[in-house]
Amino acid sequence: MAIGSAGRWFLLPGLVFLFAIDLIPLVYSAWISLYNWWLIRPRDIRFVGLANYLRLGHDPEFIRAVVVTTLFTSGAVVVEFLIGLGLALLFAQPFRFLRRLRVLILLPLFVVPVVGATMWRVIFHPEVGVLNYYLNALGLGRPPWLSDPTLALVSITLVDAWRTIPFMFLVIYAGLEVLPGELFEAAAVDGASGWQSFRYITVPLLTYIMLLAVLIRAMDAFREFDIIFVLTGGGPGTATQTVQILNYRAFGLGHMGEANAIGLVTLGLVALMCWALMRLILRPRPAGG
Amino acid sequence: MTRTRIVATVLVILALTLSLGMPAFSQGKSLTLSMLAGYKEDVLRANLPEFEKKTGIKVVVDAAPFGDLYKKQLLSLSTGGGRYDVLFMDEPWVPPFSEFLLPLTERMKTLDVADFIPTTVASGAFQGTQYAIPVDPNVQLLVYRKDLFEAKGLKPPATWDELLAAAKALHDPAKEKYGIAVTASSDIQTALYMLLAQWSYGAELVEGGRGSLNSAAGRKGGEVFLELLKFTPPNVRSYNFADVNKAIQLGQAAMAIQWASGAKPMEDKTKSTVAGKLGYTRVPKAVRQTPMRGVWTIAIAKNSANQDAAWQFATWLSGKEFGQFAVTYPSATSAIHSPRVSVLKDPSTRAALPYAEALLDSLQITKERPRLREYADIQENLRVTTGKLTAGELTLDAALKEIDAGTNRILGK
Repeated sequence: MAIGSAGRWFLLPGLVFLFAIDLIPLVYSAWISLYNWWLIRPRDIRFVGLANYLRLGHDPEFIRAVVVTTLFTSGAVVVEFLIGLGLALLFAQPFRFLRRLRVLILLPLFVVPVVGATMWRVIFHPEVGVLNYYLNALGLGRPPWLSDPTLALVSITLVDAWRTIPFMFLVIYAGLEVLPGELFEAAAVDGASGWQSFRYITVPLLTYIMLLAVLIRAMDAFREFDIIFVLTGGGPGTATQTVQILNYRAFGLGHMGEANAIGLVTLGLVALMCWALMRLILRPRPAGG
Repeated sequence: MTRTRIVATVLVILALTLSLGMPAFSQGKSLTLSMLAGYKEDVLRANLPEFEKKTGIKVVVDAAPFGDLYKKQLLSLSTGGGRYDVLFMDEPWVPPFSEFLLPLTERMKTLDVADFIPTTVASGAFQGTQYAIPVDPNVQLLVYRKDLFEAKGLKPPATWDELLAAAKALHDPAKEKYGIAVTASSDIQTALYMLLAQWSYGAELVEGGRGSLNSAAGRKGGEVFLELLKFTPPNVRSYNFADVNKAIQLGQAAMAIQWASGAKPMEDKTKSTVAGKLGYTRVPKAVRQTPMRGVWTIAIAKNSANQDAAWQFATWLSGKEFGQFAVTYPSATSAIHSPRVSVLKDPSTRAALPYAEALLDSLQITKERPRLREYADIQENLRVTTGKLTAGELTLDAALKEIDAGTNRILGK
């Protein structure tokens, strides 16, 4: 008992550190969000209560940005999950040459997002980009990847997928590697097909890992900024204008209260998304799958 | 014994370094400059050792890309951080930053002000006080292919109607040749192109303290701008400043409306297939001629502890010597020019820059954007809404209403 009580004190440094780097800035940010503070008018800082939040609720541009962010997040996570899962299943097969390719698969993960996005901007360039060069050679024309509203959203989603599929692959692959082989052997002896093994053994055992990967990626994608900023800057029009781009604009113009309010609303939305996903993960499942 | 030798050697090296290597810096003068990153920064850095050698003032350059420069300067100045002594700033930033900048009206009297192009001096002033000195004057020009115009028997267009007619005549998409290159993306240049056309027809972005683009003149200018987009390369909806240059350099576009700073790379034979084939003239007019002014200036932070050294640096940067150096410095996308009449009229400048005459001519009649503290927000609203217009999210009428509504909201009207 005494040891248990003493043990709690060992948590203190970690809690103090967490408080200092997480909570203090968060509270400060919340405090600023209650003010009308425009950096070009440093002597005219006024307490406005929840006005910054109420304005966001009525701002069609902000509401549209939430929709765009949600579309981008959903699209990116679905693509990343499906391809990541497919690659993990492929690389879990006993082919030696595949294992040697694992490093190559992981490469995009090591590329700095801004550098990767700049590279893709060149690739997507309508006239001198390599992608359109080959598409045109195949008679498919020169699609306006970044200037058509729909294609622009697809393009940023694909680039995000390119960068983070390795993460999804890595997490799911690690999960696959530790699954007990005896279960699959027993299923094979009982005459289970490959699909049945996947459906009734792999999926249930990997569910938590897969949902965890989806959760982490969804939080990350919702906060994505670099790729979108470099590739489209939120355009054409407002087709790719996410909440983060709006936040950047507000900070850039020196509207500190509004920018912090957008940041905290984003935090709330991400927390809501996490809560919904966690509910999904932890909901009771019927026995026997 | 050995330790004594080592200490002695170190002391000798230190003494030599201080007495020979950096004689001037020993005076302790050091400035921090907030600078635009890229080719303008390159020109500066290439000539900075000369200034440091001559004055003994060390200049630490903190460069940021255009999109971040305003934010960094605003944050540093408004929070009183004192990070920067001198700031290289775009002229629309002078009004919002004015209360954090050192007034230079008195100091300006020590300069040969008559040698500056008058409109460039105005770019550094706000409400009757001078806060910045011009360094790099910029103005929109009409660039055209002399060879193509001659082949078609066309004159350089002087009006928007003539511009549209010439663009149509020279537009041949089947051969990947296009009438004119401008941007139509969410880039700020798109908004400024449309504003240029609207100004020409007599509209104003802000008039009487209110947004006033939603007028007959504003609509006409907007229509002309949208009409022009029929004769552009197919992907101008993703174009930026550099892409407009590229369309000219690759010989794809017969004309472009471009800032003068973009002209130098068009004349670089190593980067341009049409160097020597280009003509430069004023942007088209309608009821008036309104080439837009965009001067890069240098200002001193009010809380700088090195105001005299900062003034020395600012006068050097806006001086003839640096201006002359910048004329010959190679440039890939954007050049620095001089605000000095004597430099722009110098025969060597005229020989090096085929557009120098057009630059000087347009700067004499140039029009400034609204001199308001809130202008950065107003321009951002204009950029976003024009982007919605060119992306097809809004009609012209709806866009003009939205621009004015945004401007009025920003101005508290």
